[in-house]
Amino acid sequence: MGTIAIVEDEQNIRDNVGFALKREGYQVESYPDGLAAWEAFERALPDLAILDIIMPRMDGLELCRRLRSLSQTLPIIFLTSRDEEFDRVLGLELGADDYLCKPFSVRELVARVKVLFRRLSLVNDQHGPDEEELLEIGGLVLDLRRYVARWRNDAVPLTVTEFMMLHALVRRPGHVKTRQQLMEQGYPHDTYVSDRTIDSHIKRIRKKFLGLDPDFDRIETVYGLGYRYTEEPDR
Amino acid sequence: MSFRLPHWLSRISVQLLAFNVLVVFLPVAGVLFLDTYERHLLEAQERTMAQEGRLLAAAIEATDQILADDARRILVQLGGRHLARLRVVDRDGRLIADSARLGPRRQETTEDLPEAPTDDAPLLYRIGSAPFRALRRLSEPPTDQPVDTWEPASFLDAPEVRSALEGRYGATTRISPGGQRSVTLYIAIPVRIDTVVEGAVLVSQSTSRILEALHAVRLGVFRVFLVSLSVAVVLTLLMATTIARPLGRLRRRAEAILDRRGRLRGSFEPSRRNDEIGELERALAELTRRLEEHLQFTESFAADVSHEFKNPLAAIRTATEMALEVDDPADRRRFLGMIQQDVARMERLLNEAREISRIDARIDEEELESVAIDTLLENLVDAFRMRRANRGPAFTVALADRDVRVTASADRLLQVFENLLANAVSFSPPDGTVTVTLRLEGGQAVVTIADEGPGIPEEHCERVFDRFFSYRPDGRDDGGHSGLGLAIVRAVVEAYNGTVTAGSRAGGGAKLTVRVPVASPHRS
Repeated sequence: MGTIAIVEDEQNIRDNVGFALKREGYQVESYPDGLAAWEAFERALPDLAILDIIMPRMDGLELCRRLRSLSQTLPIIFLTSRDEEFDRVLGLELGADDYLCKPFSVRELVARVKVLFRRLSLVNDQHGPDEEELLEIGGLVLDLRRYVARWRNDAVPLTVTEFMMLHALVRRPGHVKTRQQLMEQGYPHDTYVSDRTIDSHIKRIRKKFLGLDPDFDRIETVYGLGYRYTEEPDR
Repeated sequence: MSFRLPHWLSRISVQLLAFNVLVVFLPVAGVLFLDTYERHLLEAQERTMAQEGRLLAAAIEATDQILADDARRILVQLGGRHLARLRVVDRDGRLIADSARLGPRRQETTEDLPEAPTDDAPLLYRIGSAPFRALRRLSEPPTDQPVDTWEPASFLDAPEVRSALEGRYGATTRISPGGQRSVTLYIAIPVRIDTVVEGAVLVSQSTSRILEALHAVRLGVFRVFLVSLSVAVVLTLLMATTIARPLGRLRRRAEAILDRRGRLRGSFEPSRRNDEIGELERALAELTRRLEEHLQFTESFAADVSHEFKNPLAAIRTATEMALEVDDPADRRRFLGMIQQDVARMERLLNEAREISRIDARIDEEELESVAIDTLLENLVDAFRMRRANRGPAFTVALADRDVRVTASADRLLQVFENLLANAVSFSPPDGTVTVTLRLEGGQAVVTIADEGPGIPEEHCERVFDRFFSYRPDGRDDGGHSGLGLAIVRAVVEAYNGTVTAGSRAGGGAKLTVRVPVASPHRS
């Protein structure tokens, strides 16, 4: 088990999330603003950080940037309340591992925390993954244990949510997944996610693939229905 | 079918052209005055001719008889020192002497010369004088005088000669031969020998000299007219480029700024022109800038409100989940209390957001009255004391002036000071003092509200009035503040032409100062 830092200026949210994580057996440290958290982090890093974005004294983005200067691997989850913050938060330069939009489900948050801890513990695992834990379609390989995706041997820096959505698409190539289905897959415990959120996730997944391969076009939009992963596009 | 002007010839250009050309025509109307001038000249010529005729008649009368030889001799002696053609006719109308038949003279009679149009620009003259000639032909009825060949068969047929032979002065005009527009003026003077009319002196002279002079004047006026006309046209086109074209550009820009859905897209570039069009451009640029600012403000306010709702909503949601999962009744009660608290907060947020929108939109329409701030502050502080039942900070009120009245809505003023007091109380330590002062200063009511709390850092003094800005030093966030309280204060105070500023109280703590213009004493 590990130590989780919650940095959030809203006291009730801080208390609720802390309560839920403690019930799962995690150590919880909470801070009301970025600067207070940073002063503590300089002495000792937590094992995972949950950051609000808009906070007095130092905001979550700045705190994330500083954390990354200390550790590249520390899992970071953002809690956002503004739609337009998504792009900035998930900009690869910040390197957040996942994010949830307020009002989020605390169960969803706990599930993400667990996934990130699992991914972290497997990074240093010398054993290769078992065959059934690898999903391979064309040039794409999904490591279902580690939540890591590779495209033609390059690691794609997907967040946990993005990985789960891509997994849902790839599991049955050529079949259309509705936004509702993708939402259930990406947010198993959350029922308040909007279609637009799904669209922006897909957009971001495509962007991350295009960053590695400018010709990537496997994720198709099916108008009026949803999205589809094509195994071998007609050329 | 509509007639489309070329784009550079806009409607303003056409109007300018019309006005300018009209102005050019005004001096041309002065040419009409030349007709009066012409009449004066003709009268002067007639007087001169009569003078010459009388002199000749007097010379002949001095010989006591009317003889062709004497007459001819006198004419020769005159030696052509006269301008007119002089003829002498006897009682029977026979020509006995004619200055035109005395061989070469120093000065030719003019009426027999063809009136050659001046050779510089005759065409020009004809074009220019065409309307005037037409006008004169219309205004002068044709005369019944026969077009005289110059040598009449009998001078007795000429009315002026007949009149002279009857002992009276005779005068007539005949159109000059040769199809010219000039006329020849004839006058006849009786020659009396022993009071008996024995003959007549006929003086004739063409008016062509006068007409020539007038022709030259008209030609000059017409030249000036042509030059003015071209200058007017050129000036108008220049004005069109300096006025009409920038205006057209502004119009196109204005049309381009609004898209089909009526949203602002882009703005006017501020102009560097120094004239009225530049001012118009700058005014439009300022207008669009302000409009855009307001739109952005409204948009960001909506985004802010939605953002502010997400925090209590997130707290409610997580607390609900937890309340459903925990088994300990004490825990459950704690989560339910949290939900209750955040629901109340959302309600307050909603109310205040609606309130601030209402202040923005309608404070100008609210009924104003004369409100005594001193009484209002005293009552409000009493209410605060009672509400808190002697817990929390103490209040001191120092009113330097009494009966300080401002023109405002009493409810709005109450809202302002209630928010400020609540703010001060929330920051004040429980054993501290909140100090309220009121004084008059330069026509303004100045109210200060100070607490002994942590104070506001310098860099936040302006931002505390921003919507949703909330500065709560460590441990003071009880979640009960919307971040709109001071924004409402500022909105109301500024609507009453006042100001509100935040600063530090001497000895620590925050001090907020409100200045509102006092009501003029003449109005009740």
